[in-house]
Amino acid sequence: MSDLAERFAAYAARRLPGARDVRVSGLDRIPGGASRETYRLVLHYAQGSEAIARKLILRRDPPGSLIDTERKLEFGAYAAFFNTPVPVPEAIWLEEDPAHLDYAFCVMQELPGLEASPAALLAPPYAQHREKLGAQKWRILGEISRADPKALGLVGLMQDVAPAECWRRELDYWVGVFDADELEPQPIMRAVVRWLRANPPPPAQKISVVHGDYRTGNFLADTGGKIHAILDWEMAHLGDPLEDLAWGLNPVWTNGTPALAGGLLPRAAAVGLWEAASGLFAEAAALHWWELFSCVKGQGIWVSSAHEYQVGKNQDAILAMASYLMTNSQDRAALHLLGRLA
Amino acid sequence: MKPDPQRVLEQTALNLLVDVLPNVQPRYRQTGLGIAAGLLISVREEFDRAAARRVEENAALRALFARGASVITDAALATRLREAAATRDESLLVPALDAGNRALRALLIELHAHVEALATPEARDLDAAIWRELVASAERRRLSSGAF
Repeated sequence: MSDLAERFAAYAARRLPGARDVRVSGLDRIPGGASRETYRLVLHYAQGSEAIARKLILRRDPPGSLIDTERKLEFGAYAAFFNTPVPVPEAIWLEEDPAHLDYAFCVMQELPGLEASPAALLAPPYAQHREKLGAQKWRILGEISRADPKALGLVGLMQDVAPAECWRRELDYWVGVFDADELEPQPIMRAVVRWLRANPPPPAQKISVVHGDYRTGNFLADTGGKIHAILDWEMAHLGDPLEDLAWGLNPVWTNGTPALAGGLLPRAAAVGLWEAASGLFAEAAALHWWELFSCVKGQGIWVSSAHEYQVGKNQDAILAMASYLMTNSQDRAALHLLGRLA
Repeated sequence: MKPDPQRVLEQTALNLLVDVLPNVQPRYRQTGLGIAAGLLISVREEFDRAAARRVEENAALRALFARGASVITDAALATRLREAAATRDESLLVPALDAGNRALRALLIELHAHVEALATPEARDLDAAIWRELVASAERRRLSSGAF
């Protein structure tokens, strides 16, 4: 750990021309983030006559992860939404050269004293603010959907897609993950995929930034129930805004409260808040398609995590746990959405 | 007699959670240990039913294939269904049962896709039977701590 602190301080010194006495204190690996190693640290340095101490988050790629993503896209999304109605921490550095810390990494502003864990957010003292959290969560998603990707500078960084092709591109990608990584046949998901291909949704109302993993667990809130930041933009891309809405409604994210989307609000209220904030319409059949798709995508992630663990690319217990707890739940969620499981 | 594996896994998980975890630092290792203990509890649940659910499912799939062979229109697929329906689980070791299960579930995907394209009443009935088996397969694998 101290080696990492010294190497990071050396890197920071190169990125901060004129800074003196650059050092790191309090380097602490923090839980969560199966797709990146995440550390909290304080970067100290002197600039002119000023002594500076910046609280930072370092996110470093691990050897294998749950999600294969382009860190440049993630970093770009943070940078694009900084100081907009979509709260995000400041993105500071992106480094793709593994020479510095063995793997690519990015550095973000730390927002201390906030909570992201769903288990914590749905228990006291946060639980009394369940509705307030839910209202903000779905309104902020509406803001993401409403935003103009071109004005944010994300077209070009993120691959553009025609409105009529959003569904096919995403479905093909995740079916490809099954084909590459499944350790056993997936007859339920393969039946869902056939249904999705036979019943495509209408073209997207607009091309939006899709967060890609918008759920309870990927935002930071304080004990007063205010959301301060949307995190984990690792799967961000351009696409149909209904994809994000549907992902957040997936039954596997209800956190033990099946009647509440994301464990926070009734489904109808969540959809209504998103519609009001985005200015878009969640047509029932189209949303149903994307909800079923979200099961395919979810299963793609769990299949992939099982594969990484099984072949020894990443032995983090969370990958095995995700596979054990989520694979069957995702199948059950799909059967439920198809009306075949109560 | 020695303690049964279920008891060993459960107690080991409990010891990790109660005795070891509070004394582990840093926090990410503590979280990792909690996850590992939870994993032992899930493995314990799987251990109980490991052979039973595989044997039950393999039998259910063979029965579907025997029925499907007379319903479908693809002669080559019908032959493979009859051959699969005639197989038996030669060993009760989990890896052997899994190998058989993987082959049978792969064939189920082919059968289901084929049946979906057929409009006869027999094919519709078979399609419904396949969906019942898919629901049953999800129930067989359900874990008490699953997310849904």
